[in-house]
Amino acid sequence: MSLVALSELLGAAVRDASGSARGRVREVAIDPHEHGTRIAYLIVKTADGDRLLPSTDVTTCGSVVRADTDVATWERHTASDNVLLLKRDLLDQQIIDVHGRKVVRVNDVELDATPVNSHLLLTVVAVNVGARGAVRRLLKGVVPSFTLRALLEKIPPHVIPWEYVDLLETDPARRVKLKIAYEGLSKLHPADIADIVEDLPPAEREAVFETLDEEVAAEALEEIEPDIQKSIVESLDSNRAADIVEEMDPDAAADLLGDLSEDRSGEILKEMQPAERQEVTDLLAFSEHTAAGRMTTEFIAVRHDGVVDDAIEALKKFEGSREAVATIYLIDVANKLTGAVPLLKIAISSPAGQLADLTEQFETCAPDTPDDEVAALFDKYNLLTLAVVDEHGRLSGIITADDVIAMLRGERG
Amino acid sequence: MADLVKRASRRNWRATFVMFLAVIGPGFVTANVDNDAGGIFTYSQAGAQFGYTLLWTMIPITIALVVVQEMASRMGAVTGKGLSDLIREEFGFRVTFFVMVTLVITNFGNVVGEFAGIASSLELFGLSKYIVVPVCAAIVWLLVVRGTYDSIEKVFLAASAFYVCYIIAGVLAHPDWKAAAFATVTRPQAAGIRNYGYLYMVIGLVGTTIAPWMQFYLQASVVEKGITPKQYAASRWDVILGCLFTDVVAWFIIVACAATLYATGQHDIGRSGAEAAQALRPLVGEYAYLLFAAGLFNASLFAASILPISTAYAVCEGLGFEAGLDKKFHEAPAFYWLYTALIVLGSAVVLVPHLPLVYVTVLSQVANGVVLPFVLIFMLLLTNDRELMGTFTNTRRFNVIAWTTVVVTIVMTLAMLITHR
Repeated sequence: MSLVALSELLGAAVRDASGSARGRVREVAIDPHEHGTRIAYLIVKTADGDRLLPSTDVTTCGSVVRADTDVATWERHTASDNVLLLKRDLLDQQIIDVHGRKVVRVNDVELDATPVNSHLLLTVVAVNVGARGAVRRLLKGVVPSFTLRALLEKIPPHVIPWEYVDLLETDPARRVKLKIAYEGLSKLHPADIADIVEDLPPAEREAVFETLDEEVAAEALEEIEPDIQKSIVESLDSNRAADIVEEMDPDAAADLLGDLSEDRSGEILKEMQPAERQEVTDLLAFSEHTAAGRMTTEFIAVRHDGVVDDAIEALKKFEGSREAVATIYLIDVANKLTGAVPLLKIAISSPAGQLADLTEQFETCAPDTPDDEVAALFDKYNLLTLAVVDEHGRLSGIITADDVIAMLRGERG
Repeated sequence: MADLVKRASRRNWRATFVMFLAVIGPGFVTANVDNDAGGIFTYSQAGAQFGYTLLWTMIPITIALVVVQEMASRMGAVTGKGLSDLIREEFGFRVTFFVMVTLVITNFGNVVGEFAGIASSLELFGLSKYIVVPVCAAIVWLLVVRGTYDSIEKVFLAASAFYVCYIIAGVLAHPDWKAAAFATVTRPQAAGIRNYGYLYMVIGLVGTTIAPWMQFYLQASVVEKGITPKQYAASRWDVILGCLFTDVVAWFIIVACAATLYATGQHDIGRSGAEAAQALRPLVGEYAYLLFAAGLFNASLFAASILPISTAYAVCEGLGFEAGLDKKFHEAPAFYWLYTALIVLGSAVVLVPHLPLVYVTVLSQVANGVVLPFVLIFMLLLTNDRELMGTFTNTRRFNVIAWTTVVVTIVMTLAMLITHR
């Protein structure tokens, strides 16, 4: 096997079975419906128009390409959206480096040429994002090829293996045809997805959020800074936006919708499921900079006459954020807050133990408590969660420590 | 549902106001940073050397400036990408590399110009350049690296108001208003094309007003602000008003220097901007002279804060290096090194003893003028690309004006080279 760089291949002379030069390589195409990494054909610019040289006909590949078929048998080229064109779609474009967790620009593409039954099997193996690709592109055709080769040997390669490359395609129809699903990206931590998305141009951001799984999209969206969050949601159609917003933490969703225009947030709310919509609209009524604006309504509350097993059942069914489970709240029949049990105590107590016996001293605040007082309570009592209760002592929501950290960092920035 | 919508819109008035502010920014800031030390020195020299005769350039330059800046901001709004990104994606690595090398060289000249402005203006207050230039270089470096973009931008916007002092200086200079107005609308004399000094100055005026780096900066700011094609109508007015304000200020600087320096036979402000201001002192009085000095300092410091960072961004994004102030030094070494080198070396050049600061600065603006048509060609090719711009491609009128600018600046550059003895 040997490696061939795309930039070497582009412009290379092509000789057919007769041995005479028939044209030059113009493009290299992958057909994702046939194979995800195998080169389907080369587009060759010949004297009478562009022709498709199937990669199965290629016998040598490098600064000269040889084929064992006649030029007349090569199909004429017609523009197609169904193939990935390495020069147009990849060279000099931005891609997501899933392994390095960042957006990078492609300097060159590395192909592997393995001989199989006197033909070459051409596959794409990596993209080059380092100095080697850059120098090759810059000096190709300017200095003699053997000098260039010797020089390139001295530069360490900086490549991203193909399996860690997620392509960016803004046209939704083409995304489907090319089977671009952001599988690599969606496996990353939401905070990393958010960092990557923040580095992308708007159309590419939209593309990512149209494609990602709703749950992943929602978690990533929560981590994105508010301005960009807003522009992403504005660019999505309201149906898709509603699907994502439904999956978000209600307090994050309320903050987001509150920043949107009246028409837009109305449209999105209209598309949402009634239960989620109610939660979000309740939160929207509060000012963003109070306890009620910061709180989430997704928390665990069990009846105060219950046992540890009841709390464990509630934990199993809970779908809210991980931060919210740090404390199990106890309420009476009227939803009045009567106690709070740390998760740790649940874990180390016997399943039949009375929850009321496990309750510890807990802190509460009113819905209109301003941000700085909330932060002061967290600091003073080293809280993980803080209960927000209304004037009748009923539990209306909880604030989690991560919200407070985000709030404090937000004030500083 | 109505109640629901009403609740959702509780912060809506604020969002609208913020959107207005967000859109009003980039064009106005860019246009005002345009009157940096390079601009002020070049306009002053033009007035001192040629009196009112070069005022005719102001109208065509303004038209070209509006067209070019509008193209840059439209590209930013429609594509969401910077100019160097687009050059890279559409024209490949090699072309981008040469554009970036050229950009670094010309922008370095402009950075030197900004520090020359700082040195000259503070010399008027009796401060040695060997102290103030390194101090200001350190301030600029820290302001950008430690401060956040938003708070810097507010300082810029506030500083824009300060440019009014040039208009006051122009009025205090008691110019011959009739002659100045007449010169502004008079057709240029054909003999100019054979005069090296004249061509040099005209190219300098074009280069300082329509500086290549500004197009990169403006487009990047539009992208940074997240202006969308929908909000673009407001953004266009931001650009147009900014351009008009810039050139009104430029006009007053030329007039002020023509009415004073040219009129009294001091045709060469030559070695330092301080001489220009010193020369103004007896002619227009204490206040105009102080305004001139303070204005120059302010303009230089703020342009010095924008230029190196915008260059570092443009180059790193075009060539594919990690870039961004949110990254740590070791994550984006090329970005931080380039940024730091531009400031350190740019300010070091100014410290060379007996360096004729104004000559060097005007030269850098002439270099801008020589490079401008090539940057413009890329901008024209990009803004006419239907695949890229969709329905937002250039109108015919825009193409005619921009291509004329390209041809005229190239012809003038060639004529300048031929007439050079």
